[in-house]
Amino acid sequence: MPKHKKKKPDWYPLDNAGVLYASIQKEKYSAIYRFSAVMTEEVDPAALQRAVDQVMPRFPGFRVRIKQGLFWYYLEPNDAPGPFVRPDIANPCQPVRFKEDNGWLVRFYYYRRRISLEVFHALSDGSGALTFFRTLLAVYLRETGVDIPEGGGVLNIHEPPAREEMEDAYSRYAGKKVLRGGWQKTAYPNTSEAEPFYTLNVTMGFMPVDKLKEVAKRYGASITEYLAAVLMQAIMENQAAQRPHRPRPVALAIPINLRGWFPSKTLRNFILTVRPCIDPALGEYTFQEIVDRVHHFMRLSVNRQEMRAVFTGNVRFTANRFLQLIPVVLKNPVMSLSYRLVAARPYSATYTNPGQFKVPPEMAPHIQRMEVILGQATRPSPHCASISYGNVMEITFAGTGVSSETERRFFTHLVKEGIPVRVESNRTK
Amino acid sequence: MSYCVNCGVELDDTAQSCPLCHTPVLNPNKPVDMWGPKPFPTEKGEVPPVARGELALLISAMLVSVAVCCGVLNLFLRAERAWSLYVIGAAVMLWIWFVPPLLLRRLPVCLRLVLDVLAVALYVFLISLDLGGGNWYWHLALPIILLGGAIVLGLALIFRGGRRSILTTTTLIIGAIGLFLLGVELFVDRFLTGSWQPGWSLIVVTVCVALMIPLVIVRRVPSLREEVRRRFHM
Ligand SMILES: [Zn+2]
Repeated sequence: MPKHKKKKPDWYPLDNAGVLYASIQKEKYSAIYRFSAVMTEEVDPAALQRAVDQVMPRFPGFRVRIKQGLFWYYLEPNDAPGPFVRPDIANPCQPVRFKEDNGWLVRFYYYRRRISLEVFHALSDGSGALTFFRTLLAVYLRETGVDIPEGGGVLNIHEPPAREEMEDAYSRYAGKKVLRGGWQKTAYPNTSEAEPFYTLNVTMGFMPVDKLKEVAKRYGASITEYLAAVLMQAIMENQAAQRPHRPRPVALAIPINLRGWFPSKTLRNFILTVRPCIDPALGEYTFQEIVDRVHHFMRLSVNRQEMRAVFTGNVRFTANRFLQLIPVVLKNPVMSLSYRLVAARPYSATYTNPGQFKVPPEMAPHIQRMEVILGQATRPSPHCASISYGNVMEITFAGTGVSSETERRFFTHLVKEGIPVRVESNRTK
Repeated sequence: MSYCVNCGVELDDTAQSCPLCHTPVLNPNKPVDMWGPKPFPTEKGEVPPVARGELALLISAMLVSVAVCCGVLNLFLRAERAWSLYVIGAAVMLWIWFVPPLLLRRLPVCLRLVLDVLAVALYVFLISLDLGGGNWYWHLALPIILLGGAIVLGLALIFRGGRRSILTTTTLIIGAIGLFLLGVELFVDRFLTGSWQPGWSLIVVTVCVALMIPLVIVRRVPSLREEVRRRFHM
């Protein structure tokens, strides 16, 4: 008799970042982000749907639904029809419903020349989603009659998915030593009056990369460090305008893509955030001093050994025997509270820069620019995200607050430095 | 192309005002493009509500199961007393409290309160059946439950009309407690002696009124109200 082949388990647990994003999920909040490509031609929805249908099987990590087990959430393959491409809407990054829309945790939209992909953060980080998106765009262009070769970051959709693409890289690289960060001070929350549910105010700024690089260089910093410093200054000015008795520190959460330090082809989460912080209670900071502080902090804290020790602690936390045995319905409120205390309270905003979006030269003439939106925060304050493509840097502020002061201070600072900025927004007033 | 005169950023041709500082766009050389396509869709998407049918079903199944099991057990264990009515009544009450609000998203608060009060009345009625206390139920328990329900309903109606200051809220709640206890003594007296001789409830009412007087004064005098607001950040 032929031996039974050992059946591959058809479900898998979330990675430790995914555990967090799933447990803070609420009726009115989900951790969602969006990438968009503005093409040079109007989008053909039928071709886009054909491309989605072809690409989804190649990316099993995105073709999943999330289920609630007794102790943890888990992911299992989703064989339901879809996901279907839809006309875009004015309020992107809506919360997901685990049991609706056939359980899909990725969404596809089109509007004129723009193709958008929205991803629930428990599935993948920006780097994994961009690989998925790049492949989708390549297949879409092929469907419209353009010849795009494999390689250059485009995965071959006729190959079976590689095992390494599905690995939990945190567990793979977790070490022995654990580094516990101390209790972080509450940061200035940078909130304003909340818009009615569900509204997401999105403001995008476009500027030339070379100009930006030149200015950043003048301050002795990289583009990411320079933009983080401009954002911190904008938030500090917001706080100063309120004339607080005791100003709070202003701190950013900046996700670092760990693949640069720990080689992995994973398409799931593999990021860690660092926290540059400035305390205005200590006195005035000139802009050059803010840039220096962010620059040196980033260089000092982004290193293999420390980052490994930090995520080892996170892996140990989710692997903790005691925590394992608490039912998920009880664990969620606790995780949600600890998220607010540890992952939201000490930060004024998140700033993420997935960097340069590179495509094979055959694709480049068909894509005009790239955009990124970091979805709503757990409170009405804006998050900031940027992505560059060719010579266009795109920076987005998105949040559920009414105020546009943060983005106004941010972009006018760039204009004063001599960088031309073009602004687009979905705000109606 | 137009630029914002205030912040110097280049704007979209369709922008009527700057999205950063909300300064209107006034460019005689290039009027705002009112009909061109906007950079983002203008159609808003609805977020579907979370389905709670499953939870309602689960709660219903659990309560029915408890009620049936206890009812059956009652036939064999101490069958001379209808003790299972306590459990069944509690199950019915809990069901009315929790399941309709899960199924009917737009259930008005007042209707929900009426249902909740009726559920309590029903539960106490089942208890009175076991204790053979039809008399005290109709003359004492039911009036008190209905009075309490009416007062809570009244408060809910008052508070529904928007945000009240914490002073008004406190005043009204203290007043409602005084009124309720006055009613309780009225029904107790009429049940026991047939006539109303206000005693202990008058003391409670006096205390309540005494508590309310300073609150009303503070609420009425603007300078005092401002002072309280400053001291307590209300
Ligand atoms: Zn402006």
